[in-house]
Amino acid sequence: MIGLLVTLTLFPLVGWSIGRRSVGEAFLFGAGITGSILFLVGVVHVPLVVAMVGVGGWGVGSGGWVILRAFRAVRSHQPTNPLPPPTPHPPLPTILMLVPIVALTFASAITPLNDFDGRAFWVLKAKGIAHERSIDGPFFQGATLDPRNQYPLLIPLDGAVILGLAHDLDDRQIRWLYLGLLVALALLVRERIGQLISPSAGAWCAALLVWIPQFAVEPEGGVLSAYSDIALAAFVAGAFFELVSAVARSRGCAVSEGFETTRPRDLATPQPRDLVFRFGLWLAFLVLTKSEGLPFALVFLVIGAFVFRKQIAVPAIMAGVAAVALLVWRMRIPVGDEEDIVRLLPTIPEKLPHLGDALTAFPRHMLLLPRWGVFWIAVVIAAALAVRIDRRAAMLAISVVISMLAVYAAVYVVTAWVVSDLVAVTADRLLMHVIAPSLFLLALGAHRTKSM
Amino acid sequence: MSNRSLVPRIACALLFLSLAATTLPRLVVIVDNARTLLPLPYEARRERQMGPWYASVEALRREQPRHEPVALVAAPRDFDSAVFANYYLYPIRTRIFVGRNNYRNAAPDPTRPKTIVAVTADRVARTAYDVLRDRDLRAGRRVVTTPELSEPSAAFVLPIAASIDGPSPETFVIEATLVNPNPASAEVRVTFWPKGITSTMTIAPGTTAAYYDFVHQLFGVMDRGWMRVDSSAPLRAAFYFANRGRGDATLLPNIAGAATAIAVAPLYRDTKLFVLNPSDMQATAVVDDESIPLPPHAFISRPITRAPRVGGNVYSFATTRELNGRTDFLWPAK
Repeated sequence: MIGLLVTLTLFPLVGWSIGRRSVGEAFLFGAGITGSILFLVGVVHVPLVVAMVGVGGWGVGSGGWVILRAFRAVRSHQPTNPLPPPTPHPPLPTILMLVPIVALTFASAITPLNDFDGRAFWVLKAKGIAHERSIDGPFFQGATLDPRNQYPLLIPLDGAVILGLAHDLDDRQIRWLYLGLLVALALLVRERIGQLISPSAGAWCAALLVWIPQFAVEPEGGVLSAYSDIALAAFVAGAFFELVSAVARSRGCAVSEGFETTRPRDLATPQPRDLVFRFGLWLAFLVLTKSEGLPFALVFLVIGAFVFRKQIAVPAIMAGVAAVALLVWRMRIPVGDEEDIVRLLPTIPEKLPHLGDALTAFPRHMLLLPRWGVFWIAVVIAAALAVRIDRRAAMLAISVVISMLAVYAAVYVVTAWVVSDLVAVTADRLLMHVIAPSLFLLALGAHRTKSM
Repeated sequence: MSNRSLVPRIACALLFLSLAATTLPRLVVIVDNARTLLPLPYEARRERQMGPWYASVEALRREQPRHEPVALVAAPRDFDSAVFANYYLYPIRTRIFVGRNNYRNAAPDPTRPKTIVAVTADRVARTAYDVLRDRDLRAGRRVVTTPELSEPSAAFVLPIAASIDGPSPETFVIEATLVNPNPASAEVRVTFWPKGITSTMTIAPGTTAAYYDFVHQLFGVMDRGWMRVDSSAPLRAAFYFANRGRGDATLLPNIAGAATAIAVAPLYRDTKLFVLNPSDMQATAVVDDESIPLPPHAFISRPITRAPRVGGNVYSFATTRELNGRTDFLWPAK
């Protein structure tokens, strides 16, 4: 119960501490900020307990104050602080979204963790951090087995906060974190696509998301596991929506004129500086969540440079700080059995025969109906339609998807593993990471069709 | 709404159905599974999921002191089980050794955990190194499949008897075969010197007793020395000093008494001189003019670089390792 309580209160409050926003976005910001701050202070050897108390105190105090102010504004009907109208809740997609969430909540509460990577790598790190209250203590120095020693620690640090507050190293305490990440991602998709395209599109995209087998029921990488893929997908979603919001802002509040959108809950959203700052935060979270987060952040910085122009320096600095901290931390601890992709890059010429397998990996997995239904077929069709309705926004989403998949295809080329084996166990999880831009394309293409 | 095409709605419905068609049945199974687990305590739910394997991990976690690191020794096929054992045992510190050889090769490492936990896909359990070794040896094949049996004798004195390991793959054992050709049972008494420990057995008439690791099977120890076998009836027997790791074996002689004139032969590497006192009396060995007092049943060895001159009322022999790893025995002339 303590784990549930901490997950439900701490992360949203920390997220609200930097401005009022939807609960989903607040949860993701809270998880990201908590993990990032603890990582940064851990790198400079500030005691983690002190940092945890600081983040918790600041988050609860500041986030609570933001909520309190919002309630006061509601009661006093302050004209200078107008609140957005309540988010419309189209009943059918809302109900459809809630059905798997309720079922998965029940399952998370009852069923013990039984996945592979979650137990072998990610939650083990959370236990190690919670036990030693350090990110470079004996656990990370080889005193015990930690197979992927240099994996980034954002999500394990969030888990360690929960385990630490619960005074319990049992993984039952952090089951809620992973459920919370999926629900938050769904709410973020619902909110942002609702703002950018239409409330109905947002609601349907969120409903579709939680019904995708790979997210909902797949034992490896799904919400009932403790992988970091949903977290990475959520942070990619956050960064992507900031980009599209910036594009939308240049022409009004919707991607395309004539869309009936909702107003942003975060009243700071219209401020470009805040948007750039938030974009930087999402990129920092990406860097600290999974190893592929760093190239993803670079992809976003390159694409973001066309959107934010000179202001891209701010997110670049934020992502750079996270990357430097990650590199410094990695230099202090022994390498695990993870592949060093950077060192393998010079071997590309001799591994060009892998290129065929790498390029066909994702199309083959996109057509796996038990994992994705006809989702990717629909996305491809919708992308073609979306380009016709809003070329810039559609090309933005397409370039994000293709660039991210290209990063993975490059990894498949250089890997020392048997490519087909690696593809078989990773491709579906990697496709999860591009879910937000894909849903956006789906919504954009479908909206065009609806308008006809 | 009415002026909008049905196409996107149908497309959206089809997309949703394609997802729900897979997710819904699996969601039902997941919820049903959770429902059946609901009445159980959390640990029992894990046991239900992972079976007796998890129960054995739990038992170990309760028994094992938290500050004492453990070596998880698992066969390559059981590596994943070891990874999960590591997860559930934490904060007990662990190191995984893939296979027993990996563990024994880490012997010079002072941080190698002393407590060994054998991990399989079925269970984890504290164990000892020699138990794992015995399990491996039992599962493998003897080096000598057609032993060269001696003439019947009621007493055998083996100048060397061992159950020891060197660096992988060196695994030294005595492969023994004892045949009772008599119409009556033979009571056999085996004494392992210089420890002086004894073991007895009965060999039924007309039957054969075969051992893949005579010393460990009889005495439960990993050690070396020499051995005396006394039988109530004459037995035909063959005792081989075998290196299971390399698949070579040497038939051991049945020594009758003192002998020290080691035959001249090429010496390679790791050459050692062995001297034993098979008698019940104090003896003195003279090795290159050095007098070495030997208590009754003593057994000593020392490295040498050339064939020494040995004298005294003792039995001596030498071993040397060929470049291919085979152990050559240089026995004394009778």
